[in-house]
Amino acid sequence: MASAPKTFDENFLSRLDAIIARYPRSRSAIMPMLHLVQAREGYVTAEGIEVIAQKLDLTTAEVNAVASFYTQYRRTPAGEYHVGVCTNTLCAIMGGDAIFSGLKDHLGIENNERTADGKVSLEHIECNAACDYAPVVMVNWEFFDNQTVESAKTLVDDLRAGKKPAPTRGPNSVPTFKEASEVLAGFNDGRANEGIQAGDPTLLGLKIAKGERK
Amino acid sequence: MTAVQPQTDLITLTIDGFEVTVPKGTLVIRAAEQLGIQIPRFCDHPLLSPVGACRQCLVDIEINGRAFPKPQASCTIPVENGMVVKTQLTSEVAHKAQEGVMEFLLVNHPLDCPVCDKGGECPLQNQAMTSGRGESRFEGKKRTFEKPINISSQVLLDRERCILCARCTRFSKEIAGDPFIDMGERGALQQVAIYEKDPFDSYFSGNTVQICPVGALTGSAYRFRSRPFDLVSTPSVCEHCASGCSLRTDVRRNKTLRRLAGNDPEVNEEWNCDKGRWAFQYTMVKDRIATPLIRENGVLREASWPEAIAVAANGLQGKKAGVLVGGRATVEDSYAYAKFARATLGTNDIDFRSRPHSDEERDFLAAHVVGSKVRYSDIDTADHVVLVGFEPEEESPIVFLRIRKQVRKRALSVTAISPWQTRGFKKLQAKYIGVAPGAEGNALAQLSLTNQSVIVVGERLCESAGGLSAVAELARKSGAKIAWVPRRAGERGALEAGAIGNLLPGGRPISDAAARVDVAAAWSIESDSIPTSAGSDSKAIFAAAARGEIKALVIGGVDPFDMHAPDFAGLESAFVLSLELRPSAITERADVVLPVAAVTEKSGSFMSWEGRTRSFEQAVPETPHQSDLYILSLIAEALGKPLGFSTVRGAAKEFGTLANWDGARASFTSHPVANAAQGVTLASWRQLLDNGSLQVNEPNLAGTARKAVARINAQLAAKLGVANGDLVTISTDHGALSLNVELSDLVDDVVWLPRNAVASQSLRMLGVLNGAQVNIRKGL
Repeated sequence: MASAPKTFDENFLSRLDAIIARYPRSRSAIMPMLHLVQAREGYVTAEGIEVIAQKLDLTTAEVNAVASFYTQYRRTPAGEYHVGVCTNTLCAIMGGDAIFSGLKDHLGIENNERTADGKVSLEHIECNAACDYAPVVMVNWEFFDNQTVESAKTLVDDLRAGKKPAPTRGPNSVPTFKEASEVLAGFNDGRANEGIQAGDPTLLGLKIAKGERK
Repeated sequence: MTAVQPQTDLITLTIDGFEVTVPKGTLVIRAAEQLGIQIPRFCDHPLLSPVGACRQCLVDIEINGRAFPKPQASCTIPVENGMVVKTQLTSEVAHKAQEGVMEFLLVNHPLDCPVCDKGGECPLQNQAMTSGRGESRFEGKKRTFEKPINISSQVLLDRERCILCARCTRFSKEIAGDPFIDMGERGALQQVAIYEKDPFDSYFSGNTVQICPVGALTGSAYRFRSRPFDLVSTPSVCEHCASGCSLRTDVRRNKTLRRLAGNDPEVNEEWNCDKGRWAFQYTMVKDRIATPLIRENGVLREASWPEAIAVAANGLQGKKAGVLVGGRATVEDSYAYAKFARATLGTNDIDFRSRPHSDEERDFLAAHVVGSKVRYSDIDTADHVVLVGFEPEEESPIVFLRIRKQVRKRALSVTAISPWQTRGFKKLQAKYIGVAPGAEGNALAQLSLTNQSVIVVGERLCESAGGLSAVAELARKSGAKIAWVPRRAGERGALEAGAIGNLLPGGRPISDAAARVDVAAAWSIESDSIPTSAGSDSKAIFAAAARGEIKALVIGGVDPFDMHAPDFAGLESAFVLSLELRPSAITERADVVLPVAAVTEKSGSFMSWEGRTRSFEQAVPETPHQSDLYILSLIAEALGKPLGFSTVRGAAKEFGTLANWDGARASFTSHPVANAAQGVTLASWRQLLDNGSLQVNEPNLAGTARKAVARINAQLAAKLGVANGDLVTISTDHGALSLNVELSDLVDDVVWLPRNAVASQSLRMLGVLNGAQVNIRKGL
């Protein structure tokens, strides 16, 4: 087995331990730990896999199996803003395919690649349960609803320019990939109540049921 | 064991119109086997937990009139009362479902059967014929991968052939406890994967090659060597350790090409270790001794058999002689040596222990081991297993697997008394009692066991004075069973055959007049011709030869460097007859060297650590070599004191009449535990894959051996001022060796070294045993 990696500071290691402490069985901690590695490194590094294997008394092959299964775990560096374009059926028909190819041309990168400045990476993603806002674009797993090719281009330009655009729903400004990963690792950034929680289309059925709308 | 079987709930169900009654919990696929109905399958394996990964075993099931809405995987569903199962034989739906699954499996499987090692013995090939469509409807592109990739130096993976049944990954995790392979990239590119930096260096990796139902996993050594239908298979027994594995030896044109684990539920189940599977080139090495050799003017020259036998007999005639057997002889060969020593040479100076040994051990073997019948099944029913002087994964891997199985199945409690908490002990979830080497006896005295407990004792406990006495005492106190597990395959058989100074065949004490009469009668010799006092042990025989008291030595398969400080002086002065496969330190000094047959070239039997006789037939059809016993019979004949047999069958038959002694066993006198040495002490044992003489010419196998390192704990490292990876030198008056440090979970002030790695032969280089004081310093 690989010897213990030495690149991690005490603070990071203690936060890994804090994740482990949340669970009755230590190996349950593997997914948030992988997110925390992404929060620090920007992707799942070899050292990250090795430190998790060591902490959880698993083999590196077992950790790698989990890390290579979920597309949320990136094995190449993500951009500061990881842009996901939904290309599942509904979004695709509503313009997702056009947005995805438009962004590829606009950014000059292919699927799963990153711009040279490291700001933006692009990925076509599966359904994010926002069909009522199709087509959606996700930036670090925050929703940008009802996009067009043009709005999406503006969005990535703003991201590259360092502006922090507000997602349609969710926090007041879009977090970086590392910040978002930290939240996914279970470390609260205190922004859960910012912005719009549920948009109109989401609540439509409820309102009809309650007789508030016909 | 009482004869009453435990009550099991029985379930009756109907499969294809036939009623069958099976124990509760039986899987549908197994129940169908009871009726002789074979449901096709890939992922299913009776010794692995069900997973339902391949979906090939779909059948129609209804329970009490209610049908499952769609076909179910019969390998994951336990039987229930009133269940009605229709397999492909009676259900069109099941048949079509199976054909559909097969078609999906073949979508990505290449049609490379003509160049695939598995072709001809491939479950996928076979079942595609029996349960698949004649033609594929798939016209797309198949998955392709770079091929093959080495997941270790001895296992190759062709990913495009893999049907993702997960047999290999489940074996590694469940049976071996080495999950170095797992399913990566789940999704369209799912594949078996190692982590790049950590190869599949499991001692049991070969089993994954054997249970792979396609040609995805292949062994480097066998790849592209043969077609299965060109091989002649012979059931065999492993000669590498005392586990007693059943094997199958596959021979093509008189050459052994591969060995597979045999299926013996009572012993190795369906598994074996990589050494047993992949170490067999030693019989085919170039320097194999081909003809008898006679020393003339200081040089060995080739000779004819009649000449060599005459010279050998002449050299032995009328001389006081000693006999050293080595630990690798078959039962029949050992018996021949034992009889040759007594009936032909008239001496009790015979010993099979060509390794560190003690008088305490010899008495212990005579009193507590010979004739005992502790079995693998005693591990299955044990309430507690104690390991002392024994690292099962390194020293008897199938014992390890059996203990681990019970640990997994029913949380069997295991205690390991050892100076180092090894990875193997951790995999057994053993309670680790760290003791300095030599102090095992003290730890044993603290234990309390029951008559359901098993104390598993390794041969190297004899290096700790008083250790075996403590085992005997603990067993007496508690009624616990003693399982003595030597390393070599021939040791237990040699003990039973009387190839030791204090015992005649069948465990008859030499000191017992009735025993001597018994044996003399069977051998048709005068009863007073068997010497009455116990003979010398191996070391004493060498020493007596050096003093000129023993004037002739008969040595079969002994490497003197396996012993502690061997005395070579006797080899120069005495007449030395060596029976050997290859040149050794003995043949270099021998007066007559006679080539002998290797295990694959003869029939015979080994006795496993259990005392279980494991017979095997000759696997290689044509060989110029003869077994040791045949050669001994020729010499005995020439000496005018014939052995009375010259065939394996004859020896086995005669030994059979002597095998069971119902008289009193030898008594055992307890030895005190020795005081610990001062300063830093040595702990050392052999690892499974090392510099062993039966592992020559196996580069692929050697690639997965553990790295030779010096292991010390953090306390000693701090004292020495060394860190992980630093070089240290360990020395004694005898010599020194240098290795890199790996910080490990050891007791304080102990350094652990591999006993027989290329760079670390602790016996030969340091000349000391476990528990001896050694010097250790930083750097060279």
